[in-house]
Order: sequence, then C-alpha cells, then structure tokens
Amino acid sequence: MGRIVQRKYRRTVGDGMSRVSVIGDPDFNTGFRLVGICDTIEVEDEAQLPEAIEKVLGQEGIVIIKYDFYKNLPIPLKMKIDESLEPTFVKVGGEGGVEELRDKIRKAIGVDLWK
Amino acid sequence: MADVQPTRMELIKLRRRIKMAVNGHALLKMKRDGLIMEFREILEEAKTVIGGMIEKYEKAQEKMTLAKAIDGVLVVRAVSIACVSEPQFSIKKKNIMGVTVPVIKREPIRRKVIQREYGVTSTTARIDEAVAAYEELVDAILAVAEIETTVKRLIEEIDKTRRRVNALEFRVIPNMEDTARFITFKLEELDRETIISLKKLKAKMAAREVAEAEA
Repeated sequence: MGRIVQRKYRRTVGDGMSRVSVIGDPDFNTGFRLVGICDTIEVEDEAQLPEAIEKVLGQEGIVIIKYDFYKNLPIPLKMKIDESLEPTFVKVGGEGGVEELRDKIRKAIGVDLWK
Repeated sequence: MADVQPTRMELIKLRRRIKMAVNGHALLKMKRDGLIMEFREILEEAKTVIGGMIEKYEKAQEKMTLAKAIDGVLVVRAVSIACVSEPQFSIKKKNIMGVTVPVIKREPIRRKVIQREYGVTSTTARIDEAVAAYEELVDAILAVAEIETTVKRLIEEIDKTRRRVNALEFRVIPNMEDTARFITFKLEELDRETIISLKKLKAKMAAREVAEAEA
C-alpha cells in the first residue's frame, strides 16, 4: 500500500522569497534534498498523487513534479496543473513537458514552430 | 435583422459602430502580430533552456546513481538530511503587451564545497559531484519555470486575440454591414413610396382642378 510522506523541515527561506516543493518518489526527491529543498512530498503509489497535488495547489512558488507522474494523471488535474501560475509546475524527467507545449503552440498558432 | 428599426438614426448609429469595429479590428490585428513576434523570440530561448534542463537532469541522475551505487543509499540520504538551506529566489512580475509574466530573480544556487552543510571529510567526491549536478539542475529548473510560464501565457493571449480578430472580421462586421444595407434599402424604398404617392396626389389634384374649371 502506498503512502504519502510530506517532509517539512525548518524554513530557511528569507523574507519575500518564494519556495520550491518537490513531488516524486523517494529516489527522485533525494537529489533535490541535497540542494536543500526541504518541502518534499514522497509519493510511492500513483493513486495517492491527486491528494499530494491538491496539497500544493494552494501555496506559492514553484512545484517540481516528476514527468512520469504527471503523464498518468487524470485529465482534469493535468489541466489544473497546466493552467496554474501560482504555484508554477515544472515537469522534470523524460521530455519535460515539451510535447504538451508543442501541442498548445500548434493549436494556438496553427503551425508547429517548435522544430 | 427583423428587430432593427429602419430609421435614419439607427443607420447613423450603426455606421458609427461599424467604424469603431473596423478600427478595433485593425488594432487587434496589430496586437496579434506583435505578440507573435515577441513569442517567436521567446520560443527560441525556451527551446535552449528546456533542452538544457533535460540534459542536466540526465546528468544529475547519472551522478546520483553513481553516488548511490558506490557510497550507498543510506549515506546519500544521511547527507541529504543535513542540507537545509534552500535555494533563494523571488518571483516578480513583468508586462509584455498586456500579458503579465513572471520573472524569477534568483541568487546563485551553486555553492562551494565548503559552503555546503554536510561534512566534507566524511563524504566522497562522488557525492560532491552529485550535489553540484543537482544545483545546476535546480538553477535550470527555475529558468524553465520562468520561460515556460511566459510561453504559455503568450500562447493563451495569442489564441484569445486571434479569436477576437476572426470574430470581428467574419462575424461582427459583416453582420453590421448587412443590417446597414437592409436599412438603406428600406429607407430608399420608403423614399420611392413617398414620391409615388405624392405624384398620385398631384395627378388627383390636377384632375380635380380640371373638373372644377370645366364646371
């Protein structure tokens, strides 16, 4: 059975500074912990993912999410992530969300400018 | 079209509205072109930044796997717990042709080995390398966050402006022109009717005058 572990250590972010959160499996998160990002959410089972995302949706700053996790999300949640500017979601790993961006450009402009 | 009163006042109002719509259409078209130009410039940058991020992630993962394989997962985790000073950055806002986009001001994330919070002597160079690779990755991620949001916002705005331009060009302006034409025809028709009835009246009056003169 999967579980969500949200690790929060003491805040070391200065005043007026934004913060980064990470959503991924423990392996993915360890690397970001090395840089000092304390706000990591460890998700071992993909079924727990929506809950983890709802948790971060309210906060400000940047959320790093593993691309494989993002890919398998239900479509409404994906749209929520795509439209959200506060926090800004960055997909890391794989193609890093290039395909989604390309699709959007194709739809809006009519030509695939991403070549 | 049937709910329009075919009056001269209505026609004048409609002509004013058409003029305004045409002006608005020209302006929106210029805005769309401007946005696309801006977008193309940013797109080039976005390609390099996102490509760089993907590369850095692969590199960082490689270093991490190496560190974990040789030094052990537990050691790496223990080191990671010691690191608590977060990357410092703040998000400001910038305006590109009416589109608010974020600008991320970040302080250098790369630190020297001695500035890191774990013990240097008790850990290996592989861990140092992994940390350095991840520092670079986070730096790239912040850049991607900024540029990806900018690109997305610009796309949305371009799409919105394009829809407006098309709606004005193919729907609103032709509709109004049709109505104006309808009113003009109706007014001309009325004019002709008035002239005919006047002529008939005149003929009648003339006939009556002739009859009176004869009597």
